[in-house]
Amino acid sequence: MAQYRTEAAPAKRAESAEQMFGWGTFFKCQVAISIFYILIRIYQQYFSWSKGLDFFSEDFRVYWWNMLIGELIIEASVLTFTLGYIWKTRDRNLDRITPEEELRRFWGLGMWIVTFAWAVYWGASFFTEQDGTWHQTVIRDTDFTPSHIIEFYLSYPIYIIIGINAYMWARTRLPLFAKAHSLPFILTVGGPAMIFVNVALNEWGHTFWIMEELFVAPLHWGFVTLGWCLFGVYGVAAAMCPRIVELLKITSDNKIVAGWASKSAS
Amino acid sequence: MALLTQSQALSLERKFDIIVIVAAFTGTVAGYHIHQMLTVGDWDFWLDWKDRRWWVTLTPILLITFPAATQYFMWEKMRLPIGATFCVMTLHFGQWMNRVFNFYMWAWFPVTFTTPGLMIPSAIFLDVTLMMTGSYMFTALFGGMGWSLLFYPSNWTWLAPFHLAVKHPSGPLMSIADLMGMEYVRSATPEYIRIVERGTLRTFGRDVTPVSSFFAGFISGIIYLWWVWMGKVISRPVWLSRT
Repeated sequence: MAQYRTEAAPAKRAESAEQMFGWGTFFKCQVAISIFYILIRIYQQYFSWSKGLDFFSEDFRVYWWNMLIGELIIEASVLTFTLGYIWKTRDRNLDRITPEEELRRFWGLGMWIVTFAWAVYWGASFFTEQDGTWHQTVIRDTDFTPSHIIEFYLSYPIYIIIGINAYMWARTRLPLFAKAHSLPFILTVGGPAMIFVNVALNEWGHTFWIMEELFVAPLHWGFVTLGWCLFGVYGVAAAMCPRIVELLKITSDNKIVAGWASKSAS
Repeated sequence: MALLTQSQALSLERKFDIIVIVAAFTGTVAGYHIHQMLTVGDWDFWLDWKDRRWWVTLTPILLITFPAATQYFMWEKMRLPIGATFCVMTLHFGQWMNRVFNFYMWAWFPVTFTTPGLMIPSAIFLDVTLMMTGSYMFTALFGGMGWSLLFYPSNWTWLAPFHLAVKHPSGPLMSIADLMGMEYVRSATPEYIRIVERGTLRTFGRDVTPVSSFFAGFISGIIYLWWVWMGKVISRPVWLSRT
């Protein structure tokens, strides 16, 4: 496994700017997530209503319970592996990083953040309101319905994994984020991560005193306040943009006419 | 020799702009939508809950939050007077994706039952007020009021047919929207928590709508200022344990 070394950075100069700052990773990540969730949505279309209405049936065990166990095992493994990989390949010479390499890594962080935001969209918007449609139609029986198995235990952990990895990637590769912990970045990643934890309160409350699915019930307000943390992405932008503009000026021999980002530096 | 030519540097700056825009759009969809669906969602899911009292009161009050904070960031950092419209567009995207692919194509509720409320005119008004006055206080006072007052008229055009009175075979006179809600059972929304047409001043009939909207405008202004402050706090690059 190759180490991520600053010493190798000068070799990156051989790459063209188009190669260093290409859209390939951007499209691969967004398309991969989209295709995955479209397939999941198709699976739901086929098997939620026909196999997912009775928690105690054999069909439910085959089509949904096994899926739940499998996805939790895979998610834990992926999080462990990716965090380990990012830590193992961390840059140990961040103080010697070149401006070109730093700019390239900011581009990489942009890919991470966009991927995280897209994954949060699927979890917090698409599959969360979809859960509302399920509960408006099917009486709540257990905490593990077909919509919950996708919403709570698949889409939420996926964006949490991406978010934690994004934070760790920035922390180990970019001097700006290595020197101190960015509070907006922590909020951006941590708030939506705590939405997953708040599921426990939600399910406990629904189990013991509120069976009806009134979406605006106070029981759900924990999700709301944690969703507010996504505003931290503006703070992350406010931290990144001035440094990016600075790097653009340096790497282009001060030829760039700074745009909106320079405003946030002032 | 510089890595980037001037045109490459400008191009890269635009690429970073696109990254910020896409991340802000999808992140705001997630945050604003979960805020919307869990604070005012039920009133906006169902046609018969889009009544002239609770819906026009709660929806503007609870939905001015994200636009206010986003307006602060976009106006202060980028001089873009589009914060509210941007937010509302993200919310409409998230809502329509769900109403079509989930409410309709998964649970088979007709789209007319679950069409989301339209907020775009209100958002444009809020943005224009900030752009014209450059003052958060004036935007709270006038923009917040306009945000709320414009909400019901903006939706009236498509809602009007559902307000026509019909007589149910069992006797009561009700609107088409109420009849649809009554005939199409939603299993987990029991009748005792429906708040449609409940109130002590029913004699005043339709005239409660502007009263509700004015009250919503008053509260929206307060909420607006609070959330502008939140936008200011959250968009600062604060660092912990700097070494």
